[in-house]
Amino acid sequence: MPIFSYIAIPASGAKKALCMDLNSLAHCEVIVSDNKDVVVLVTDTPDNDTEDKLQKSLNNLQSLQSLSLAFGYDDNEKQGRD
Amino acid sequence: MKLNRRKFLKYAAASSAIATAGALFPGASFGSWQNLSNNSGLISWQKAPCRFCGTGCGVLVGVSDGRAVAVKGDPNCSVNKGLCCMKGYHSVQMLYGKDRITTAKVRKNGEMVEVPIQEALDLVAEKLKETKDKHGKDSVAIYGSGQWTIPDGYVASKLFKGCLGTNNVEANARLCMASAVTGFMTSFGIDEPMGCYEDMDNANVFITWGNNMAEMHPVLFSRMLANRKRRTNVTIIDFATRSTRTSQAADKSILFRPQTDLAVANAICYEIIKNDWVDWNFVNEHVSFHKGKTNIGYGTEDHFAFKDKAESINFAEYKTFLEDYTPEKVEKLSGVPAKDIKYMAALYGDPDLKVTSFWCMGMNQHTRGTWINNLVYNIHLLVGKISTPGNSPFSLTGQPSACGTVREVGTLTHKLPHGVVMKEDHRKMAAEIWDVPVENIDPKPTYHTVEMFRALDRGDIKFIWIQVTNPMVTMPNLTRYRNGALKDDRFVVVSDVYPTPTTDVADVILPAALWVEQEGMFGNSERRTQHFAQIVDPPGEAMSDTWQIIEVARRLGFEKQFPWSEDDYIGGIWEEYRKFHAGPKHEMASYKILKERSGVQWPFVNGKETRWRFNAKYDPACTNGKDFDFYGKKDHKAWIWARPYEPAAESPDSEYNFWLNTGRVIEHWHTGSLTRRIPVLHNAVPSSYVELHPEDAADLGVVNGEMVKIISRRGEMTMPAQIKGRGVPPRGMVFVPFFDESYLINEVTLDAFCPISKQPDYKKCAVRLEKA
Amino acid sequence: MKRSKKRDRLVTGIAIICFLGVWAVMVLTASAAPVDLRDFDHQGKKIYDAHAATPQPYMSADSGDRNLATYYGRRQYPGSPPIIPHEVDQTFDGDESNCLSCHAKGGYSQEFDKFVPVTPHPENTLCYQCHAKVTTKEKFVETDWKSIRPPRLGRSFLGSSPPPIPHALQLRENCIACHTGSGAVVEIRVDHSARGNCRQCHVPAVQTTPVQEFVRKP
Repeated sequence: MPIFSYIAIPASGAKKALCMDLNSLAHCEVIVSDNKDVVVLVTDTPDNDTEDKLQKSLNNLQSLQSLSLAFGYDDNEKQGRD
Repeated sequence: MKLNRRKFLKYAAASSAIATAGALFPGASFGSWQNLSNNSGLISWQKAPCRFCGTGCGVLVGVSDGRAVAVKGDPNCSVNKGLCCMKGYHSVQMLYGKDRITTAKVRKNGEMVEVPIQEALDLVAEKLKETKDKHGKDSVAIYGSGQWTIPDGYVASKLFKGCLGTNNVEANARLCMASAVTGFMTSFGIDEPMGCYEDMDNANVFITWGNNMAEMHPVLFSRMLANRKRRTNVTIIDFATRSTRTSQAADKSILFRPQTDLAVANAICYEIIKNDWVDWNFVNEHVSFHKGKTNIGYGTEDHFAFKDKAESINFAEYKTFLEDYTPEKVEKLSGVPAKDIKYMAALYGDPDLKVTSFWCMGMNQHTRGTWINNLVYNIHLLVGKISTPGNSPFSLTGQPSACGTVREVGTLTHKLPHGVVMKEDHRKMAAEIWDVPVENIDPKPTYHTVEMFRALDRGDIKFIWIQVTNPMVTMPNLTRYRNGALKDDRFVVVSDVYPTPTTDVADVILPAALWVEQEGMFGNSERRTQHFAQIVDPPGEAMSDTWQIIEVARRLGFEKQFPWSEDDYIGGIWEEYRKFHAGPKHEMASYKILKERSGVQWPFVNGKETRWRFNAKYDPACTNGKDFDFYGKKDHKAWIWARPYEPAAESPDSEYNFWLNTGRVIEHWHTGSLTRRIPVLHNAVPSSYVELHPEDAADLGVVNGEMVKIISRRGEMTMPAQIKGRGVPPRGMVFVPFFDESYLINEVTLDAFCPISKQPDYKKCAVRLEKA
Repeated sequence: MKRSKKRDRLVTGIAIICFLGVWAVMVLTASAAPVDLRDFDHQGKKIYDAHAATPQPYMSADSGDRNLATYYGRRQYPGSPPIIPHEVDQTFDGDESNCLSCHAKGGYSQEFDKFVPVTPHPENTLCYQCHAKVTTKEKFVETDWKSIRPPRLGRSFLGSSPPPIPHALQLRENCIACHTGSGAVVEIRVDHSARGNCRQCHVPAVQTTPVQEFVRKP
């Protein structure tokens, strides 16, 4: 059950499109900078399969120029502790 | 538990990404980031003036998917240059209180029943007409406020004064700045400050006269502090009856006994003349001397009437008058050490220092409010420190459009948008612009606010429409006026956004649009008109106060006078209203310019704002060829008035041995109906309290939080004590913030007022205390 | 020399207060006697005094060498008095002027090669009353102690609104001391130190106090 956050940089002039694209994907939350061309993406998927599918959809987005990981957390890695 | 933990992790994930983004893109801002919801996340920012005090800060309202989600200070607005106070920053939250009034309600068999708003408006129009036909035109009234937008006040005045023919138009600004108006009118013959906020960047000395700016005008106060920090030659003097944050920040705090500010102001003038600090060139050219009536009463009785009469005197007579006010004599009366009086006089008198005086409710809510305004102008006039950058007697206001709507539009019984009802040429001008027969406009003023509510109690007024204000918290001697409003054949219409003690007495409640849910304009303390567009939709059936009045006017058959369409009525109203102020003394900017800019100062002549009035260098209305032209008065001079000290309407005696002083706190604005719906502000100050001096508390045997009963000749109120809290009153005085409807302190206060301005004194009455 | 002078001042101070007390009792109504401005509103005068007294370069300087992790590392729980993290001479007799010579005004200490944090309460001069020095890091027995989480940063009520004051003000009345200057913790330094009326924008909203909404009484 991983949670990741990313810095997403839109393709030139595609900030609005990127927001719409990201918002249309499940398990995604989007925080938009109101003065710079940068978007923060937080993903929260229930299992690894969904996570893999989401990664694929993200890679296929035309409006996205680059995606860099800022924070990662995975429950599976800490199983047995809780 | 699990869910909360995941929420927290997501929060951490988001924070960390935002922090990283901030490092990669310096200055990146994520305005909406706490609303991780299903919206687009995009924010658009639109300008508006702040909804609260009269400072008139420019704010930018952040809107995301149709909801206001954030506020920033507007860097383009010269008032606040991007800084707000805690009320402004959280102001958008006031739109979303759970108990927002979104439908009209009508009293049927004692119960308030929801009805469609059009039906409620039908009933309002019907009742208004019926009451007028049966009891005469002066049996109907409208009571608005300094939170009315300019179009709100304008259509109210046009309907009641122009169409219905009654001067029963008043506004709560009577309770907050009427003395400032009569002060300006008697000293200068024309209303509103000559200076502007830029004075703060030029003055060397600031004297706050009974004015806790640190809490009440915080944005201006920080500008003062920043100036003191930046420039080495800045001094702040707090001259007050109670110790506050302003006293703490000031370089010197001087306390005086209530009401004796009159004597101290005269003593300062005495010292200025005695030491020959008078600017003779200025006084000889630009000042004339006058006296008025004395022993003028307090207005506590119904039908009280007073008319002042000005008599010219010469300088020698004025000087003789001042002989009663030597610093030594005044020390005995005021408790202010003679050396402190001399110190203040020396600051005003030093030709190398620029002095700005600030005041607000301390001087205005005063049974001699007009006089103390005159007396502070006297000081500035004697030393010629006026109408130049940094030299400024500056009257601050407490509501966002007390100046714009009440003073400039003239929503007071004697006023018209230009001039007064008593003057024929002013009536003619109004009748022509309003397209009504001139006979419609009654040349006789009717009731000022206190007398209006007395008339409602007596039954002379039977229909009252109250918009954007909460008199059932704010009227002094409140019990009488609430009982009056509740009488059987009184019909009370209230337009408001939340339930209040005033909607509790209503027969019809109309849901109103709030702030940026409508288009409008405000006018701030420094003659600045500020336009705001409709930025979000009003909830449910809520409707702007302007449009409510237009709907009723049309039902009464005044379609011709109220022809505007719902899409662009604000622009149409503004351009019509602007005609009243044509000419260099009061020219207003066009609708187009107002929409573009973050506020425009009038007189706006040939595309230029006027920063300092009466000064030929800045003011195009000056025509006498001299450096200064006080063109408000026929003699083109500013008037110095010999006004004596007279005691308060009610002073402590052996039975009622404490002064009761009332006022505000920074978190809450006026009656708190908006700020208490802003969680962070309510949490900071959730209820009112009574401030006591620590030794008085010890004598009474109460500690912080214990209940104290405050008893006056009119009523009593039991509330928790606060000792060494936000402020400390001197021995023999208690202070109560009035924002809390659970502790209606105005049931205790006295409805005495200044006979000239008719503004009540909320700062002084006599009470005794008991441990409850 | 220094200390005896201070005592003199204290004695006159007490004399003045006694005199005012007697005089105030004699005046029946609203005496205009001055109130002690230092002693109300969470000693609110401190902020203004510190703002006026601290030179601008001091307030805006930023060494960046203290962060929140080290800040809380020196405390047992948020709000507890921090330990003294540096060597203290064995012969130190507790004379406050030794501590305050650095911690009253801050700036750079050559002795420790560090920027010094400023105390928000220099008038409490018995520093050893609350601040303990560390002579050993060994524990007597292990402990089960758990602290509450420190207040999170940036918890504004709205996107762009100023964050509230998350901690109680007692002994931390002077915002300027901890939130400006070269010794300030980087995460909580303000970049607008020229403004002196801090509580104009920042509302006290102590995080350990439950949040309540306003509900009209029926």
